[in-house]
Amino acid sequence: MIEVQSLRKSFGEVEALKDVSFIAENGQVTGLLGPNGAGKSTTLRVLYGLVVPDEGNAFVDGLNIRQVPRQAQKSIGVLPDNQGLYVRLTAREHIEYFGRLHQVDENTLEKKATELIKLLAMESIADRPVEGFSQGEKTKVCLARALIHEPRNVLLDEPTNGLDVMTARTVRELIQELKLQGVSVLFSSHVMHEVSRLCDQIVIISEGTVVASGTTDEIREKSGEENLEEAFIKLVERVVVEREE
Amino acid sequence: MHPISIVFRKEIKDGRRDRRSLMSAFFFPILAPVLVYGMMTAIINIRTSAEQKVIPIVGMENAPTFIKWLKEQDVKVETFTGDPRQAIVDKKEELVVIIPDNYQKKFSESKTAAIEIVNDGSRTDAAATVRHFKDLVRRYNAGIASLRMIARGVSPEVIRVVIAEDIDVASKQQRAAAALNFIPMYIIMSAFVCGMGIAIDTTAGERERKTLEPLLINPVERHEIVIGKWLASSVFAATGMVMTLVLCILALAQVPLGEIGLNFHVTGSQILLMIVATLPLAFLATSMQLLLGIFAKSFKDAQSYIGLLMLIPMVPSLYLTFSPIATQDWMFAVPMLGQHILVVDVLGAKEVPAMAYVYSALSGIVLGLALVLVTARLFQKESIIRA
Repeated sequence: MIEVQSLRKSFGEVEALKDVSFIAENGQVTGLLGPNGAGKSTTLRVLYGLVVPDEGNAFVDGLNIRQVPRQAQKSIGVLPDNQGLYVRLTAREHIEYFGRLHQVDENTLEKKATELIKLLAMESIADRPVEGFSQGEKTKVCLARALIHEPRNVLLDEPTNGLDVMTARTVRELIQELKLQGVSVLFSSHVMHEVSRLCDQIVIISEGTVVASGTTDEIREKSGEENLEEAFIKLVERVVVEREE
Repeated sequence: MHPISIVFRKEIKDGRRDRRSLMSAFFFPILAPVLVYGMMTAIINIRTSAEQKVIPIVGMENAPTFIKWLKEQDVKVETFTGDPRQAIVDKKEELVVIIPDNYQKKFSESKTAAIEIVNDGSRTDAAATVRHFKDLVRRYNAGIASLRMIARGVSPEVIRVVIAEDIDVASKQQRAAAALNFIPMYIIMSAFVCGMGIAIDTTAGERERKTLEPLLINPVERHEIVIGKWLASSVFAATGMVMTLVLCILALAQVPLGEIGLNFHVTGSQILLMIVATLPLAFLATSMQLLLGIFAKSFKDAQSYIGLLMLIPMVPSLYLTFSPIATQDWMFAVPMLGQHILVVDVLGAKEVPAMAYVYSALSGIVLGLALVLVTARLFQKESIIRA
């Protein structure tokens, strides 16, 4: 379970997060929805311990990320914004490296790596150096290395960005699978239909503030719009108008 | 497995597959001995060939006794015809000796006779030949002068007021070591060159490929990551250093140093001692490179900062060239200076106090570790993933 309480964070003059609070329950998919620059990535970075908030707290399975960052990091798996890979290592070596850094023991490591490779349909590329991989193949490697330690909480920063239809579908199936296993999945996106299709809960952020949260229906109700996309635009614009006043 | 060891193994594996890292680790160790061999062979050739040069002379008939004496000294002479100045300007000859017509007359009257040595003072390659010939003239001069004094019933000692006797306390081996001053410089440089590729790749490269953020999300302390990278880079630097050292010594052993009066003989234990003396530098050099590497935005950026670091190994050898101060104990504790002195002393088979090794190792490793901790500190900053 992930719990975020009134996060505030400034980078110099820029106030990236003003007031962000939400809960991502176990066995649920929570979507973090917002326009570019709304604070989605910053919120996720606070959660995986790379950014320390000026105010507020974040908990992963009850562990305060500010107080015990390493312990909290153990129970999360992350697909970050920066999906960089070591071009000279093979896909399997990436998975194993991250598994070892999570202290997964060698026997489990090999078994689990093979399992993930199969699950993500990447058998044919598993032992090739990742140099020259397509975006879809790279994302698969990043996903596999994020899940090797069987985290109870998974954070995905725009996971389907730039993916072809086939890979995007694999990712969606993976999210469903994780949900069934009781994992708390938090993913950010600005792709509306994906969010509405996958998520049990939606958190809409705009300009560093949570403007609405709840199920798809609740969001539609709140905005008074039938279509989720319309609802989203309306909610986001409301904040902009309020600020300008 | 300990996180440091996990990071270390990954970086070694990654580095071994990286052409840039390998190039930087092995290019210098292969180039340096070739340079050493080429340079020393050239120096020996110039020095020995000076003694075998045929001296072109104008007016040989004017000084038959001098020519005869020259021949007795195994000097080859030949008659020169043409314009001596032009021959020098055209670089056809290194020098031309002109014996004027009045030589014999002045000689018979016991007056100072002049002979001219036409040469080009800006030509370093001809300098040895010119010096050698002047030396011959000086010796001829002294010999004839003594005979003239004796003929007049005066002891030649009258004009020899003082003579300087050369009592050199340096052993032949030490003189050789001093002449081979560039060897420690190459070894120290190799510490900086050989680990450079991998040090940049694991810092600036990690940022350039955007792998830093995913790496830092793992539940591993930042200093463990930095130390793992440091040790991996140091393995590359150390391997290159040992190669440079051993290959340079082997290259020197192939050069006939005896021909220029240098007595050079290095035993296996001396090589071992030199390795022990210089190895800490591998750790120091990579710690500096990692620190600069994390500041750099890209591989190229890092290369330009770290390139400047290469000037550092030159400092101690310049210092030792221009400062006549005797070795003091504190000098062993100065990184690079200490190792330089140690290598010179070991090469010269001089007795080195065991403390010197301890000082040199401690100073290198302590400073290296301090820099690594500073780097780890900077790694803690959240701005590290943004830059």
